[in-house]
Amino acid sequence: MTKPVNIRELALGILQEITEEEAYSHVVLREVLEKYQYLEKRDRAFISRVVEGTLEHMIQLDYIIEQFSNVPVYNMKPLIRNLLRMSVYQLKYMDSVPDSAVCNEAVKLAQRRGFYNLKGFVNGVLRNMARRLSQVRYPDPAKEPLHYLSVKYSFPVWMLSKWVAQFGYATTEKICRDSHMEKGTVVRCNLQKASREEIIAELERDGITVREHPYLEYALIISDYNYIRAVSAFKKGWIQVQDISSMLVAEVAAPNWGDYCIDVCAAPGGKALHISEKLMGSGYVEARDISEQKVRLMQENIERSNAINIRAVVKDATLYDEESFQKADIVLADVPCSGLGVIGKKQDIKYKMSEKRQTDIIRLQRKILSVVQEYVRPGGVLIYSTCTVGADENQYNIKWFLENYPFELESIDPYLCDDLKCKTTSGGYIQLLPGVHESDGFFIARLRRLEDEPAYEEESWSETDEPAYEEESWSETEEPAYEEAERLGADVLPYEEPVRFRTELRNEENRPETNPAYEQEKQSESGNRANADWEPSAHYEEDDGMLEAEEGIEYLD
Amino acid sequence: MALRQIRIMGDEKLEKVCRPVKAVTARERELIEDMLDTMYDANGVGLAAPQVGILKRIVVIDIGEGPIVLINPEILETSGEQTGQEGCLSLPGQAGVVTRPNYVKVRAMNENGEEYEVEGTELLARAICHECDHLDGIMYVRYVEGELFDVTEEPEEEE
Repeated sequence: MTKPVNIRELALGILQEITEEEAYSHVVLREVLEKYQYLEKRDRAFISRVVEGTLEHMIQLDYIIEQFSNVPVYNMKPLIRNLLRMSVYQLKYMDSVPDSAVCNEAVKLAQRRGFYNLKGFVNGVLRNMARRLSQVRYPDPAKEPLHYLSVKYSFPVWMLSKWVAQFGYATTEKICRDSHMEKGTVVRCNLQKASREEIIAELERDGITVREHPYLEYALIISDYNYIRAVSAFKKGWIQVQDISSMLVAEVAAPNWGDYCIDVCAAPGGKALHISEKLMGSGYVEARDISEQKVRLMQENIERSNAINIRAVVKDATLYDEESFQKADIVLADVPCSGLGVIGKKQDIKYKMSEKRQTDIIRLQRKILSVVQEYVRPGGVLIYSTCTVGADENQYNIKWFLENYPFELESIDPYLCDDLKCKTTSGGYIQLLPGVHESDGFFIARLRRLEDEPAYEEESWSETDEPAYEEESWSETEEPAYEEAERLGADVLPYEEPVRFRTELRNEENRPETNPAYEQEKQSESGNRANADWEPSAHYEEDDGMLEAEEGIEYLD
Repeated sequence: MALRQIRIMGDEKLEKVCRPVKAVTARERELIEDMLDTMYDANGVGLAAPQVGILKRIVVIDIGEGPIVLINPEILETSGEQTGQEGCLSLPGQAGVVTRPNYVKVRAMNENGEEYEVEGTELLARAICHECDHLDGIMYVRYVEGELFDVTEEPEEEE
């Protein structure tokens, strides 16, 4: 008889690939689930849940493991490390799996994978943990606030310290907490095809819970559905899956009848399609992206929408395209980014990103900006957007851009609802924060090319030239840069003074050492998950690619 | 280590009823050694003698908890039920869903010719049933519920 498929072994294999081989979680998971389609729904759901949950809480799981193991996690064999992580996840967050099963299966798995000699170690650590999990002491928020946030929400400390400096402690905690929340899927209604009321009625007929989104009248938040492709309103092309933040891009771009638009990093094409809809069949949208595969994906989406004024083409945004010189009324530069704004959807981003990588990404972003600004006609508009959080890839890039190219920021207030208007929006940009705004983390800036170019602006770039930013001091001198960004109209410290967070925490009664709120929150979370029939994010694995899933850091590979 | 060739479904040896083993001699012991080697090499959890072309009532099983050798096995007791997928080394690349008892008790001789009893649940129970069926010329496909499906074996990473 052959070995049966062991679902825990599959989950372990997926984790190995993601954590040790740098694969992207949503890609690996999708591939494995496609390959093992014959597995029962329950088993498939178990695999997704264990993999996603383990990634979501990995820093916390490592912290717990280290309370019970003499060997630090980074010193363990990778396979044992991941085996322990997924086992602790099951112990802590999956009530439906008995503790004994978790331990036994883990021991068997260690043995099967050739670690006979570590059987005892795995067994000892896990049994101990199963007994004493509730006694684990977590870092004290008053003494080690960053460490506390890091362990509670599983975010790396370097990221947290940047955010605390920029947004303040309370907001940072909101961002972290939000990434663990279950959320509905945001969809955009195509109002040319049906009225909003018709669409809502159609969705409700399918038993779907529909909520109106506060920011845009044609955005709906839907939940309680299994498979988006089976939803009738989706099949009719009435709705597209797209986060609210991406919809705001087309709002802020505000195309006029007949405009020519280029989206330079368009895949999967949601924003470009949205613009094409707004053009009501007039004008033209050229949706570019770097790879055949991405363009094919866009093509499919375009075909489903039946739009005639949009075309998908393969073009690398970092290479200058002479034909487009000052042609476009609107250029969308939704550049590859670190993706920190969509951690809630793709948990592994937070572990894969590092300051070094971010630096590389910023270099790429500036390169793209330096190339694509050429396509904007004098008086035309460039929309810069990222799905990330933090000044490095956003405000600082804009500041650098304005110093080097003949553009100016333009107020985006006219395009936003009152909830979103703030100091920076009249200045020309907005940083959306998950947990603060009802949205993914996102950044949008609207830049207009000056009608008459200043004389000095002839220079700029040639094909081989790196953009001139290298002499810039943006990376070395953080502090002055913040100040400068502020002068720009940025409120880099908009929420709280970071120094205040200690006292603030002490005043809050709900989290002294014992942290009852901590446990409670976890429980309610696991409760919610259980109700979802082990299929917390079935819709992501099966989405139509109109989520921002294909964007972000993947572009770099 | 001597590997034997695994017979593929369609081979008539797989359809025959096997003879009981009268005495465990050096020949049988060599066969058992080879069967274990062949099973491990093929990444299986069980192998019956007819699968290597020998019509003797011998099976070897290892579900990851050490080898079990059953000579002239006789199922004494079964209970419960489990439904899950099953595959066979004689039908590579395919699997199907089969319902088996969840508990099995079997009496057999070990490789030293000593009589003993083995009890198994879940995977072990399934493997015992599957292998004992081979001794009577029965392949699991007879019991498959629904369709057979393709599976590709993951290459095992040993460290």
